[in-house]
Amino acid sequence: MSPVSIVGVSHLTAPVEIRERFAFASGEAEAALGALRTQSEVQEAVLLSTCNRTELYVCPAGSERVREAAERVLSEKAGEVVGGTSQYLYRHDGEASVRHLYRVAGGLESLVLGEAEIQGQVKDAYELAGGSPGTPRLAGPILHRLFQSALSVGGRIRSTTPIGKGAASVASVAVGLARKIFGGLEGKQVMILGAGATAELVVGALARDGIRGLVVSNRTYERAHVLASRLSGRAVRFDEMPFELAKTDILIASTAAPHPLVTRDGFRQARAGSSGGPILILDLAIPRDVEPEVSSEANVFLYNVDHLHEIMDDNLRKRRTSLPEAEAIVDEFARDFLQWYGVRGVVPVIRSLRGRWDEVRRGELEKLLKGLSHLSSDDRSLVETFSKQLVNKLLHDPTKRLRQGSDNGRGVEFIEAVRYLHDLDTVEPDPSEESVPVDEEGVETMEMDVPRANDE
Amino acid sequence: MIAFGLAAAGVAAHAGALARFTVDYGQLPLNGLAPSLSAVAFIIGIGLVATVGLGEARRVGIVLVPVVIMMEAVAVSLGIEPASELLDFQGAWFAFHVTLAFAGLGGLAVAFASGVLYLVQLHELNTKRMGRLFQFTPPLAALDRLGRAGLVAGFITFSLGLALGWLWTISFRQSFEQSDPKILWAIVCWFIFVVALGVRAGGGSKERRSALASVIGFSLIIVSYLGLRLLSSQGGFFL
Repeated sequence: MSPVSIVGVSHLTAPVEIRERFAFASGEAEAALGALRTQSEVQEAVLLSTCNRTELYVCPAGSERVREAAERVLSEKAGEVVGGTSQYLYRHDGEASVRHLYRVAGGLESLVLGEAEIQGQVKDAYELAGGSPGTPRLAGPILHRLFQSALSVGGRIRSTTPIGKGAASVASVAVGLARKIFGGLEGKQVMILGAGATAELVVGALARDGIRGLVVSNRTYERAHVLASRLSGRAVRFDEMPFELAKTDILIASTAAPHPLVTRDGFRQARAGSSGGPILILDLAIPRDVEPEVSSEANVFLYNVDHLHEIMDDNLRKRRTSLPEAEAIVDEFARDFLQWYGVRGVVPVIRSLRGRWDEVRRGELEKLLKGLSHLSSDDRSLVETFSKQLVNKLLHDPTKRLRQGSDNGRGVEFIEAVRYLHDLDTVEPDPSEESVPVDEEGVETMEMDVPRANDE
Repeated sequence: MIAFGLAAAGVAAHAGALARFTVDYGQLPLNGLAPSLSAVAFIIGIGLVATVGLGEARRVGIVLVPVVIMMEAVAVSLGIEPASELLDFQGAWFAFHVTLAFAGLGGLAVAFASGVLYLVQLHELNTKRMGRLFQFTPPLAALDRLGRAGLVAGFITFSLGLALGWLWTISFRQSFEQSDPKILWAIVCWFIFVVALGVRAGGGSKERRSALASVIGFSLIIVSYLGLRLLSSQGGFFL
């Protein structure tokens, strides 16, 4: 009895050109979830689609048909793939599925260990399955509980361990450096030299901190113009670059030029007319665009690709040291969830167990009383009471131990055993049973005289 | 908030102790090494509390707190009692003169703390590390702003204090004893302020020069104070 099944593809199993074929846009995800609803056996589903992973969480777990339906949704999205899509998909069931989602939410499965964006993406995926107005909910009580706890795991990991500390991408390193030099970035002037994709990412991150203006300069003016338009900046011709350099606070260089474009002498001349304030230079180009000697100029903070990668590697090393602590949090929450799930599963099993033996009792009593027709009404009543008490006595210990097992995290295991030994029908917890009346020890209140743990 | 609470509580307790001193001895704690050290420590403590609203820059407390504790520890170990020698004159002019001079030193202490952290952060940036020290230390710009504010405010109050002292001496003694160690020390302090502010002029790494000047200047003032105090113990009287 597994709470959830997962079918998915991630950066660990597929290269980007395959992953992008599995990626769902927001509207597509809704349609895919809607398609899943047509699979009568799928009771709950959540689709998580980010640039590094696409995963479908489905209930009831353990059903081959439900899992096949989930795989079909993903495969249809990917279309024809050489060798088939199956080779890139992974599947999780049981405790592994719970732990997997917790690790995803905590950033432990991310390409950049501990990155925070995944937390919001997990939340968005859950909310999407929660159903927008007019569309039915696909996240039921199990996935609701699972995703809520996953978000708590993510929050706890990030707040109590240093797994998210320290910049781990070029853009975040750049922002971190800029903040430590300038304080706030409001009103700072940024210049991009070249039109590299990384430079664009860096500018995007800086823009969120309120930079004042952006200038793009490139040997090919048209390319500068295109990039400037995209980033709401201003393009300048390459020969105007030195004039702009005088006003620049942050320079991001990422051209493909075979030799340095910013020499020490050129830089000195360009900055001669400046206020002399600090300038942060991020040289993302290989070969380098900025002569290393520029760093010896006053108030210049020059970082090349190696410097930035050393900082990132150092931060990632530090993040990795917090993995055991994060895994302990995952373990703790997984135990709690499985215990909840076990308790939740115990109630219908106890009901089923008692129903089955009560039915046997009634049948046997009826047969017995047919042969004892001479008994008075009081005596018949006594026999019936005896039969009830006998069944209660016989089921007392199994009921008690089943309840204790679920409290100790062995509920799933015990439920399977009881079902098998007593030949009970397979009963998945019904979402509507969330409100099944239970006593203070978690046992469903039965019509029969259910023995209590202290009745012995 | 905890740091602010502790700092505020410390300053309040210190204010209470200084008030008690004033009541017990009938004079402000401005005369004698131990009382004056305690008073300077108190003024630096006020500066420390004032930095709490300055975002990351409030972390200058990591430097200022030890300075305050050290000064107070020296004062307590010497015994916070009025000096046995009485000054030639007391009164409101004297109180203003010394308080303004001490406030100037408080400003320089804030500039010193900002300067220390500025140099630490500069070192972290130049060594291309983003370790714990880098994360903890405030941004260069914030430290430079705080250091400059401390220097400017300190220079103004210290100059006013000196001017009051000069006027007071002229009107009382009709003469100005330039070889008096306390006057020498005051002039050294004033020049240190001038140099620390002067290095900000011109281009280049003026922020770094200013930070260095504040650190060296404040250290020089402490050293020169102790030196002159030692000299004055041979026979003269100094603060």
